[in-house]
Amino acid sequence: MDGIHDLGGRQGYGPIDVGEPPEPFHAAWEARLLGIVRAFTRPGAWSIDWFRHVRECIDPADYLTRPYYDQWLQTYAAMMVDSGAATVAELATGRSASALPGMPAPATPESVETAKKTFARFDRESTAAPTFAPGDAVRTNPLGAAGHTRLPQYARDKRGRIERFRGFHILPDSNMTGKGTAEPLYTVSFDATELWPEAGSRRDRVYLDLWESYLERA
Amino acid sequence: MSEDHAGRMGAIHRELHSHLPPEPALRVKALESLLVEKGLLDPRTVDAWIEVYTEEIGPKRGAEVVARAWSDPAFKARLLEDAPSAIAELGFQGWASGHLNVVENTPAIHNLVVCTLCSCYPHALLGIPPNWYKTAAYRARAVRDPRGVIAEFGEVVPDEVEVRVWDSTAELRYLVMPARPPGTEGWDVARLAALVTRNAMIGTARDLAPRVGGR
Repeated sequence: MDGIHDLGGRQGYGPIDVGEPPEPFHAAWEARLLGIVRAFTRPGAWSIDWFRHVRECIDPADYLTRPYYDQWLQTYAAMMVDSGAATVAELATGRSASALPGMPAPATPESVETAKKTFARFDRESTAAPTFAPGDAVRTNPLGAAGHTRLPQYARDKRGRIERFRGFHILPDSNMTGKGTAEPLYTVSFDATELWPEAGSRRDRVYLDLWESYLERA
Repeated sequence: MSEDHAGRMGAIHRELHSHLPPEPALRVKALESLLVEKGLLDPRTVDAWIEVYTEEIGPKRGAEVVARAWSDPAFKARLLEDAPSAIAELGFQGWASGHLNVVENTPAIHNLVVCTLCSCYPHALLGIPPNWYKTAAYRARAVRDPRGVIAEFGEVVPDEVEVRVWDSTAELRYLVMPARPPGTEGWDVARLAALVTRNAMIGTARDLAPRVGGR
């Protein structure tokens, strides 16, 4: 999706707030929202890719101006409305108009001990062989994709080099429903001069993790 | 994958924008009370998670990992080869770090981490990302002008040093292992860890040399 979220290399953005205070949260509501997100039982089978795509669909003006955790709130609210778990009126008032039957009891404070030490994995076993090997020259897909995808615009139709094969990972483009298929994933590096007209003689490189269907042999 | 989620979800977003309370704090309050009423949330669990990310899980974990790697070549080798297993030795496994990779700064190479498409970050080792890491400015600029971004943080990367920018486009997460500064020979892990800053593990800082008089 050619959305506002695809920010890499966009120009005109101003300075970075290098003097930001070191505390993890800068407002009580930010901490509260982060805690809610870690604690609440999802009323639907939402994949990480569906979460990301729903966030990408936030109105561009809101995407650029709303605080980060406020965007998370908006994303979960939208997923709840879309799945039928809540209405806009319920989210606006905080009052439930109808019960959600069949849900397990919410996570307890004791569950945090285990949950905080849990690794999530997104790779899958496969006996298939990857097409590319380290050192291979590849060119990225020139068109991108209409829906969710993880090939940024700045790296489309560019020549890169396979650095490493990372195993078979769930292809985000196929995982809106959580039933995605796995594909070879590679770390691919690009010369800064391949990406940016002003890079001049800089020897710098940009590394991306890209799925096999984003690539063809160059 | 041609279904138009963007149209359907965009309409829901606009409706939410029109009807939810005007302040973020009020929106969060409404969401929390709704989730509690729906039986999806125990507020005590929210408190527990806030405590975890305020008191326990933060950049001190990453700093300990780096300091151990500086002190123990065998641990460093395991960390560079299979970071999730290496951090599990310290009990640091957790959120967004199941596919962790550690990239090492050297005299010839400087690494910088960004997520241009969202805000991917190794939470289990660095905790809650700073707000600047999640801003449009950092996400737009880090891949294109990494040296300018680092200069804004106060350091100049020499021309002869190659800058490698890691854009976290998949579920792999990246942690920069800064170079051990000279003058720290014989220091123990705790003393070394106190030198390692969050920004150095993102890559917006490079030089960790102890300053006279401390800092």
